[in-house]
Amino acid sequence: MASEDSVRKPLPAPDADTVTFWHGLRHGKLLLQHCRRCRNVQYYQQATCRECGSDDLEHRPATGRGKVHSFSVVYRAPGPAFKEDVPYAVLLVELAEGPRMISTLTGSDPEDVTFDMEVELAFDQVSDDITLPRFRKA
Amino acid sequence: MSDTSLRGKVAVIGIGLSAVGKVPGRSPLSLAAEAAANALADAGVAKSEVDGVLSSHAFASPFHRFSVAFSEYFGIRPTFSNTLQVSGATAATMFSIGAAAIHGGLANVVLLVAADSLMTGLTPDLALRSLTESRDQQYEMPFGIPVANTFAMTAHRHMREFGTTPEQLAEVAVVHSRHAARTPGAQQSTPITTADVLNSPMVTTPYHKLDCSLISDGGAAFVLTSAEHAKALGISSPIYVLGCGECYTHEHIFLMPSLTTTGAVESSRRAYAMAGYQPSDMDVAGIYDCFTGTVVMMLEDLGFCRKGEGGPFVADGQMSYGGQIPSNTHGGLLSFAHSGMPGALFHFHEVIAQLRGQCGERQVENAALGLVHSLGAGFATNATTVLGTEGTL
Repeated sequence: MASEDSVRKPLPAPDADTVTFWHGLRHGKLLLQHCRRCRNVQYYQQATCRECGSDDLEHRPATGRGKVHSFSVVYRAPGPAFKEDVPYAVLLVELAEGPRMISTLTGSDPEDVTFDMEVELAFDQVSDDITLPRFRKA
Repeated sequence: MSDTSLRGKVAVIGIGLSAVGKVPGRSPLSLAAEAAANALADAGVAKSEVDGVLSSHAFASPFHRFSVAFSEYFGIRPTFSNTLQVSGATAATMFSIGAAAIHGGLANVVLLVAADSLMTGLTPDLALRSLTESRDQQYEMPFGIPVANTFAMTAHRHMREFGTTPEQLAEVAVVHSRHAARTPGAQQSTPITTADVLNSPMVTTPYHKLDCSLISDGGAAFVLTSAEHAKALGISSPIYVLGCGECYTHEHIFLMPSLTTTGAVESSRRAYAMAGYQPSDMDVAGIYDCFTGTVVMMLEDLGFCRKGEGGPFVADGQMSYGGQIPSNTHGGLLSFAHSGMPGALFHFHEVIAQLRGQCGERQVENAALGLVHSLGAGFATNATTVLGTEGTL
């Protein structure tokens, strides 16, 4: 019998680096950090640019468009919390702005995912505070 | 070669395994102590001579300072010790850090020891969770991405870019099972076929169950000392650490620079450069085989074949006897055993035994130079070691 703790899906706990990101998602925006000094665009969020070290970062909403760089359809869940979701497609999405991110497919058959498939952002509110960025076929 | 190079400065003088496979009722410390006792007996060195201990974390053990807990359990008081953690790459870093510690005067005789009981010491769900909860809780884990999935996405992209086929991936598992059939104590000792792999349940595309490594109990240990001290002890066939290299390219899979070319290129380049040898000089290899596609990519990145040609290379028999680089002759993580971070230590054990000429019917003829590559965390960590006999110095 799985413990209650082990069947609960992990939910992000925003911290000082990421609170703006999760706040953005709650309000329908996927925020990327744009470095004003070197123009690097980064995902995930932190206090400084990972390329040049500048702290002059601006949060800008992504277009939400991207394509599937790689993917893997999960048939054996990583623990009890995901058992009811299988099969599901984990996507490595390359955003139009450049950065890649991990997400999952929503709204269509996971077995129909293909490389370079065009996808668009879909907001999935999973708790009062947390909205996860998922993707659907564009 | 500069004075500071580790090339040939340190020798492996003892190797040992614990019981391996399904070993119920034994703690990681107990398995580690068994392996350590075997390695010291093999070296002919008393435990009181050991002044350094390096280890790695065990999931089935509560001791975060595993090397410290081990030393108490084993009854020694080292003056150099650490518990290393760079996931699957830890094994090769134990050799490089152990060698550096000896060369730098921090220790004289270093015991490398690790063990875990992933098979019987943890429930399957706990074992999986232990691997998934080490990933980012904000940007990865909410999406249910097991570590297998990160490796799967690299192999999947490799198939897309280079036309690697499911049959070629399956052939990796087939070769490993054939090797394991000749290894006493191998966990999966019945040879399997390509069809067996392709018909086994899908875990995470493109990986079927038999594309994935085993879950096992067991440990391994090694005794290292300086080349001079090995001579003074009269060790009959010391095996020398000739080259070491590491490379860390990312933590998150979405920041991996390329899904199909890994940090193994740089870690092995550094190891070959220190050793003064090339990939084509290697007689035998131990290649971290957490999944079949991992081996295909590593054969390329370690320089045994060109990028994109790993699939045909394996299908052509090049990673087995009579091929270019007989690899994982014990059966690897896929068929011998995989007890977590100690897993790649089994590759070291096999390659060193090959270089000593102790492998019986598995022996690669005249093996004098060997490479071991260990890696982890979706290719986030890579570490390579080149080893050789006295004649290769």
